[in-house]
Amino acid sequence: MISFIVFFFFAAVAVIFGLVVILHRNAVVGALSLVASLFALAVMYVLLDAPFVAALQIIIYAGAIMVLFLFVIMLLNLQHQREAPTRPIQQFLGYLGSAAFAIALVYYVAKYSVMQLPPGPFVADARTIGIRLFESYIFPFEMVSILLLAAIVGALLLSARGATSR
Amino acid sequence: MIPTQWFLILSAVLFAIGVCGVLTRRNGITIFMSIELMVNAVNLTFLAYARQFHQLHGLIFVFFVMAIAAAEAAVGLAIFISMFHHRETIDVDEANLMRW
Repeated sequence: MISFIVFFFFAAVAVIFGLVVILHRNAVVGALSLVASLFALAVMYVLLDAPFVAALQIIIYAGAIMVLFLFVIMLLNLQHQREAPTRPIQQFLGYLGSAAFAIALVYYVAKYSVMQLPPGPFVADARTIGIRLFESYIFPFEMVSILLLAAIVGALLLSARGATSR
Repeated sequence: MIPTQWFLILSAVLFAIGVCGVLTRRNGITIFMSIELMVNAVNLTFLAYARQFHQLHGLIFVFFVMAIAAAEAAVGLAIFISMFHHRETIDVDEANLMRW
């Protein structure tokens, strides 16, 4: 029973702060709201029996990626800039299209994903995940590490001031 | 035990919020944050199905999605810094050099 209350509370938190991200005109408020939304999603991961992924969500997303966002916002001094308003036709079509998309998605999820398997052994602790990651997923793992290295080099090259003039 | 469908519906709503942000905003960083929101909605779907089918594959995929989201954020923000140095704005409507 308590898990249902937790689910609804944090689902509401995630959706409300997600709406703040896309509706607020100030980028700093948007970034901090996104942090709150990601924290609520970490609670969802705990409810889904994946506490290790929840910890990673907080460490990587809230700790690393969102700090990077905030750092760039502060670096470019965007917290004082007012964003130019969107064209009304684009705004109207965007809201209409995404509302239709949401309704269709929720409708089909509610209609066709009706399935209940009996609760079975689902162990998702760090040990099991680590063994799986380094046994059957070792090749994608190494590929991702190379991709991250390429991303670091690319980000350094792109953001270096005057790199294009040299 | 909370039904899987509820997690899927929450994920669908969050994904639609992200789509709305990408379609209606002009600030490049806000568009990026909307993309992060969509990525997280997909992660929630992966984990919901992982629990549903008692399989670890969905969980492993979430790791790769997180790593690729980190790489994407680093490169994308670097692109916005570079764009800001050239054009003094990160309004995506101003990046119209290749526009027909």
